[in-house]
Amino acid sequence: MERSSSRLKVFAILVAIMFAALSTRLWFLQVLATEVYAQEAQNNSVRTAKTDALRGEIWTSDQYAKEEAGSSSATPLVTNRKSLEVRVNKQELIESGRAERVLLRLSEMLDIPVEEINDKLADKQYFDYQPKPIAEFVDEEVRFYIEEHADQFPGVDVVDASVRAYPMGTTAAHTLGWVGQIDADQVEEDAYRNYGNSDLVGKTGVELTYEKWLRGRKGVQRYVVNSDGETIRNLGEVDPTPGDNLVLTLDSNVQKSAEVALQEGMERARTIFDDDPDFNKYFEANAGAVVVLDAKTGGVVAMASNPSYDPRWFVRGLKPQEYRYLFKSPRAPALDRAFQQDYIPGSTFKPFTALAAVKEGVADLGSYYGCPAEYVHPGDASETTFHNWSTVDLAARPLNELLKISCDTSFYAWGSEFYNRYVQNQFGENNEPLQRDLRQWGFQHPTGLDLPGEVEGLIPDAAWGNAPEQKGTEQEPGILPFGWVPGGDILLMIGSGYATVTPLQLAQAYATLANEGKICQPHVVDRIVDDTGETVKKVSGHCGERTVPYTQDQLDYILDALTNVPKLGGTAYSAFQGFPLEQYPIAGKTGTAFRGYPFQDTSWFAGVVPANDPQYVVVAMVEQAGFGSDVAAPIVRKVIEGIYGIESGAPAVVTAGQD
Amino acid sequence: MADLVAGRVFAQERRPIRHVDLTLLVVTAALVVIGLFAIYSATSQTLRQDGLDPLSRVNKQVATAVLGFIVLLVMMTFDYRFLKVYAGFIYGITLFLLLVLQIPGVSGGEGATSNYIDIPGVSLLQISPSEFAKVGLIIILSAMLSELRTPVPMLSDVVRVLMVAGLTMGLVFLNVEIGTTIVLMAITVGILVVAGTRAKHLIALAAGAIILIVLAFQLGAIKDYQVARLTAFFDSGNAAEDARYNLEQSEIAVGSGGMFGRGYLHGTQTNLDYVPEQHTDFIFTVIGEEFGFFGSVFVLGLFAALLWRAIRIAYLSKDSFGTYLATGVASMFAIQMFVNVGMVIGIMPITGIPLPFLSYGGTAMLVNFVAVGILLNVHMRRFK
Repeated sequence: MERSSSRLKVFAILVAIMFAALSTRLWFLQVLATEVYAQEAQNNSVRTAKTDALRGEIWTSDQYAKEEAGSSSATPLVTNRKSLEVRVNKQELIESGRAERVLLRLSEMLDIPVEEINDKLADKQYFDYQPKPIAEFVDEEVRFYIEEHADQFPGVDVVDASVRAYPMGTTAAHTLGWVGQIDADQVEEDAYRNYGNSDLVGKTGVELTYEKWLRGRKGVQRYVVNSDGETIRNLGEVDPTPGDNLVLTLDSNVQKSAEVALQEGMERARTIFDDDPDFNKYFEANAGAVVVLDAKTGGVVAMASNPSYDPRWFVRGLKPQEYRYLFKSPRAPALDRAFQQDYIPGSTFKPFTALAAVKEGVADLGSYYGCPAEYVHPGDASETTFHNWSTVDLAARPLNELLKISCDTSFYAWGSEFYNRYVQNQFGENNEPLQRDLRQWGFQHPTGLDLPGEVEGLIPDAAWGNAPEQKGTEQEPGILPFGWVPGGDILLMIGSGYATVTPLQLAQAYATLANEGKICQPHVVDRIVDDTGETVKKVSGHCGERTVPYTQDQLDYILDALTNVPKLGGTAYSAFQGFPLEQYPIAGKTGTAFRGYPFQDTSWFAGVVPANDPQYVVVAMVEQAGFGSDVAAPIVRKVIEGIYGIESGAPAVVTAGQD
Repeated sequence: MADLVAGRVFAQERRPIRHVDLTLLVVTAALVVIGLFAIYSATSQTLRQDGLDPLSRVNKQVATAVLGFIVLLVMMTFDYRFLKVYAGFIYGITLFLLLVLQIPGVSGGEGATSNYIDIPGVSLLQISPSEFAKVGLIIILSAMLSELRTPVPMLSDVVRVLMVAGLTMGLVFLNVEIGTTIVLMAITVGILVVAGTRAKHLIALAAGAIILIVLAFQLGAIKDYQVARLTAFFDSGNAAEDARYNLEQSEIAVGSGGMFGRGYLHGTQTNLDYVPEQHTDFIFTVIGEEFGFFGSVFVLGLFAALLWRAIRIAYLSKDSFGTYLATGVASMFAIQMFVNVGMVIGIMPITGIPLPFLSYGGTAMLVNFVAVGILLNVHMRRFK
């Protein structure tokens, strides 16, 4: 018994230790670490569901003004529409092991060939665990059927989606851009960290640049679930915040007339015969652009690019032929030629090179300069001949006249002067003032337009000319095997050779000319308003923050010279016959840019109207369309007529052949 | 000790029936009642959602408890030494029941932690033989060790004890009940220790046990899910989903209870059915979550009181049989409580051991009442 009692004591001690261990652990769990567990308990049972926000609309200024005034006919460029979408989670479908049968069933029900469904599912843009849309705008019956027979459709969901609608059809397609499901790699990025796998994002155009505003904020609904996922209680919800709306600087009427004018102008160009012995065929006129800027603010009033496309194609998912046309065709319709492609400017460059020559003391506003048919750089052993457009020598005249008739050879001479100055100061600083002055107008710089994909063009200089890419090697000579030669500066003076600009850059430069030397930054969005109509952001052109260093007299001189271009004796006379120039004086410049075989010349025209108190700058460019006066100038006339509501008195096809 | 002498003087004047250990009864009753509240909390919401009577489990437990109390009373009516007389017979029956389970088709069962014999036609009564084996073993071992010729068990005695215990454990183990096997082991060790087994025998026993366990693992005698539960405990990074989930959920529930708990019926984890087996093996999570640290310690305190009374009864018993009986019962309760609560709060691996008087269950509850009945019996008759 004694032994028992001592053993019992041992037993009792063991039991006591057990209790101590348990109590200690409880203390840890319930006192020391309790917040951690409380949080986990919370996470366990609370679920969060997000509801999509309505994407912001996009309006033109004039239509939005109508909307604010309460007009019922106000039409936005982009709005939203409800669509019932069938989405398939490919991973789930495959895991179910019944993929083939399900796809067959879907194909029958939706009347879409199985291959098409498979194509959409195979789209590598999205991960296999992202639900991929395979059909849009399906009937409610489809939703009922699929939901009722959910077990027959593993991985298939029918979702209320909001898709873009385009009440104005193809108008301003490039500027608007399109939306699509977020890419697999985008979702990983920090900028998109609040995005779900199947969220829509803007892919290009203002839909992309202003994605953050258009998107709004998703709503959140929190509720308590049990371990089966059944909802027990609603914890409250936050409504989604609709995206902000964009009011563009575009005017819907000017935009439409610009697109029509461009299209008709290009069709007309194809009826003009190119009798250059190298070509001997009609002009291709394969692409073109029109830019209309507000001269005082830099706002884009209209911007057209041809060929174009229908943004509605994206809403239902691109058909294979649409996809091929957009992204695989050499016509490249998705490219916005107003600013995503650069072109040799031709004579439209002359106002700026002339101003540079004046500023640098190479030329002056009063002297008379000769305009021979041919020109050779002084001291050039090779005697390379540069030609004027005229085969006869023309009388000497002052700068403004030279601009009016667009004499080339006078400009060549100034180019030689610039080149010589460079040679004399090869290792000095600022030894290429021509290039520097040109760049001050914004050339070879992106304008800062609020659309993606802008290119900056090129102002060739000695550094560029002497670079290995241009010189090439002995075995494979580049475009400038001897590096920078006088021809570089000579041709630069007439906007030929290797200089390239975008139609937008050119428009900006002419606007600066018209706006007393104050540079404005072009922008397509005027302001952003929230769904109550409050303006939340105003976009400014920052006009005047940068200027070009010319006196008002110099600028006036040039502008004045240009008002003669559309008049008798000027190179654009034929295109503006019958146009009321007294009421609406236009200061303009034609351009015919030589590209060299196999490309026909690029037709350009830039106009400022009204010249005495400039409001608009209109630039038209058509690839492979020949003379500026023949194709581009009439397009600009039509656009200006559209702006002011002038009855068109344009003559029929004119081939005055004026550069 | 002095108490004992004084007790003897007054023995004649005390009739057994007046010597009920009230504390023990009250503690037991308290545990049962707490268990009822806990089961209600753990089951009512889910039952209600499924369209069933939210009180159905509670009612069943009440029925079992009432039956248990009756059994308890029955256990007090006869002198416990009768158990010694019939020890072998009792043991034989338990072995028989265990063997019956091996017959294919006889055993039905829910969960992997208990194996039932369904009595055809009497659907409410599901007997779990392994529960009876616990009491059976206590009785037979107490009987064996109280009949020794020597004051201390000899090697041969120890071996005999081990064979008897081993047989029982083996049969239970065949039914894949590691939890019960552990309890049987604890009972055996407890009684052996208190019976005065020499230290070196005990050490040898420990060594042997370890070897056996290792062998069991090696031979794959231990089922996958059980291994999973053990590995989930020891290596939390690399464990089977389910096992890990059990552990996590119960820890979360208990931990989130804090100092004072979330209040009765306010435990979100258990109410929303996040803790698996929350009304059976994991019933303590309800206590932890809804009554917090204070509640948990209070319940532990009740168990401490239960064990204190049991050890006291073992001490006060007039013969070694009674002592060993009480020790066996104490061991049984102690190990069950320790392993179960330990499992719920994450310091022990998951085994299928219910918490005495709180866990929802039939046979186990009854057996616990039998055990308390035995304790009361020994206590009542300590003077004669």
